[in-house]
Amino acid sequence: MIQCEKVTKEYHKGDNVIRPLDGLDLEIPSGHFLALMGPSGSGKTTLLNLIAGIDSPSSGTLRVDGLDLSGLSRGKLAAWRSQTIGYIFQLYNLVPVLTAYENVELPLLLHSMSRKERHRRVAGALDLVDLADRHSHYPRQLSGGQEQRVAIARAIVADPKVVVADEPTGDLDRDSASAIMALLQQLNRVLKKTLIMVTHDPKTADYADQTLHLDKGKLMDGRAASSGSALDDEVTP
Amino acid sequence: MIAPKFIPLVLRQLLRHRVRSMLTLGGVITAMFLFVTIQAMQAGVSAATQQNADDTTLVVYRKDRFCPFTSQLPEYYQSKIQGIDGVRAVIPMKIVVNNCRTSLDVVTFRGVPLDAFLAVRQEELHLVDGSFELWRHRSDAALLGETLAARRGLKVGDRFDAAGVTAYVAGILRSEEVQDKNVAYVHLDFLQQATDKNLGIVTQFNVLVDAASDLDRVARAIDDEFAVAEHPTTTRSEKAFVAYAAADMVELVAFTRYLGWGCIAAVLTLVGNAIVLSVQDRVKDHAILQTLGYSPWLIGRLVLCEGIVVGLLGGGMGTLLAAGVIEWGQFSLSTDGLSIPIEATPLLLLTGMGISLALGVLAGVVPAWQATRCEIARCFRAV
Repeated sequence: MIQCEKVTKEYHKGDNVIRPLDGLDLEIPSGHFLALMGPSGSGKTTLLNLIAGIDSPSSGTLRVDGLDLSGLSRGKLAAWRSQTIGYIFQLYNLVPVLTAYENVELPLLLHSMSRKERHRRVAGALDLVDLADRHSHYPRQLSGGQEQRVAIARAIVADPKVVVADEPTGDLDRDSASAIMALLQQLNRVLKKTLIMVTHDPKTADYADQTLHLDKGKLMDGRAASSGSALDDEVTP
Repeated sequence: MIAPKFIPLVLRQLLRHRVRSMLTLGGVITAMFLFVTIQAMQAGVSAATQQNADDTTLVVYRKDRFCPFTSQLPEYYQSKIQGIDGVRAVIPMKIVVNNCRTSLDVVTFRGVPLDAFLAVRQEELHLVDGSFELWRHRSDAALLGETLAARRGLKVGDRFDAAGVTAYVAGILRSEEVQDKNVAYVHLDFLQQATDKNLGIVTQFNVLVDAASDLDRVARAIDDEFAVAEHPTTTRSEKAFVAYAAADMVELVAFTRYLGWGCIAAVLTLVGNAIVLSVQDRVKDHAILQTLGYSPWLIGRLVLCEGIVVGLLGGGMGTLLAAGVIEWGQFSLSTDGLSIPIEATPLLLLTGMGISLALGVLAGVVPAWQATRCEIARCFRAV
């Protein structure tokens, strides 16, 4: 269960205060597949980053399975992320000098397990995303869709409870995007992962159990999203 | 510092920019090669000039003379010196060199009376080849110091020529004494005949005293004995004599310590620069790793390890290369027949490796600290 209570995030830019999230209240049940939509600067990615523990709220409380993230140090947040969160980026963000296998192995190096066990898990994750035969390829040797599948394997290899995806199909063609969304849906339905996804594309959002719309840092009622926003400081990995 | 499972990750990052890494390594190897070579010269100077508490040898030289060609003392001084209280033995010695200037390949002949020499020195000279008997029974026989034999590629039975003297190699000796390593000991009368035919004249006397504490007193007594003679003397301990006679060279070698520190600074700058550039290139990668759960502290340690690997690898290779070249060349700085050996001792190699490790750590500290300071969102925003 993910609980946001009056979560606010503020940035200071000179004398101006920029508020990507403004007193947001939200509950996401475990095993839920949630899509977040909204115009650029509406706070989608900021919310995603807060839930993933890579940023901290300026005020309010954010709990994941009862744990208040705002009180954790950077080191403890990192340890928590390694156990709990799988992150899928829009631009894949694979480490270019590592092979697909080594990229997927990265999160497991943080866990206490034998090399044999790591190998079993990496092979399983690559098999799940149908890239077992590409394990020795470097990112530059893979297509965009294949890179994103490696990124998904990396996100799930440590068996996190929550997977967050920031526009996972934003850089892919329609066919690749459909394949990726089918894969994410499978993660949610078969592996029971809580999945929170930011997207601009209504067709992509249709794969989710629920779609929420954000604008100016607040949740909108229904699906009618207002267009445009003055906020332009949103962090988009 | 880091678990072994992270080492491949460190190495992969170092190979990310192969040319840059290779150039950095090349620079580190060169700088550490120079540093170790300079340190070997410094160690040679220390070994040749710094007196030990148990040194008991004095060198009697012609007063106000600095070169073996101009120091000429009557051989009969031997009996007068022998009569001074506290003197254990006196070895008259004629010295001939093939090159009076400073050089890396000087052959120094030391003509000595066999019986007196062997009576005093035989126990501390270890023959690695040949025999004292062969040396005793051939008038042109020479005992070569190990360094000289190795440098010239000479072995027992060979004949060699230097300074107009042709000698037969009767033995190759090993000795802890610095000045024994680069000499050819020959019969005194043979050397006198072979050079200036000045029989009865020697270059110096090596005087062994009973106790190290007596060195100064005996030296003064010897110089007082000949103060008003036709050939007055100056007597110093052997190490002080080397320091005095080779003062110019010692001063030059001492100056090279600054070059050594320059090499250290170059290594520090090279490795530090390479790691800083590498870290700046990987701001995004570090953000990715943090997102995956890598703590800032772990990322800092990974970066620090990169510095250590470059420092140890480059420094180690430079150190070993210097040791190899020094061992192969058997170099010895010589002037006026006095030698300052250039030796890469195990201690020096260990010091080189230790300094390489320390430099790697130092060079990695700042970029490692920078890497730990990068917050994920800011890192992503920066690229």
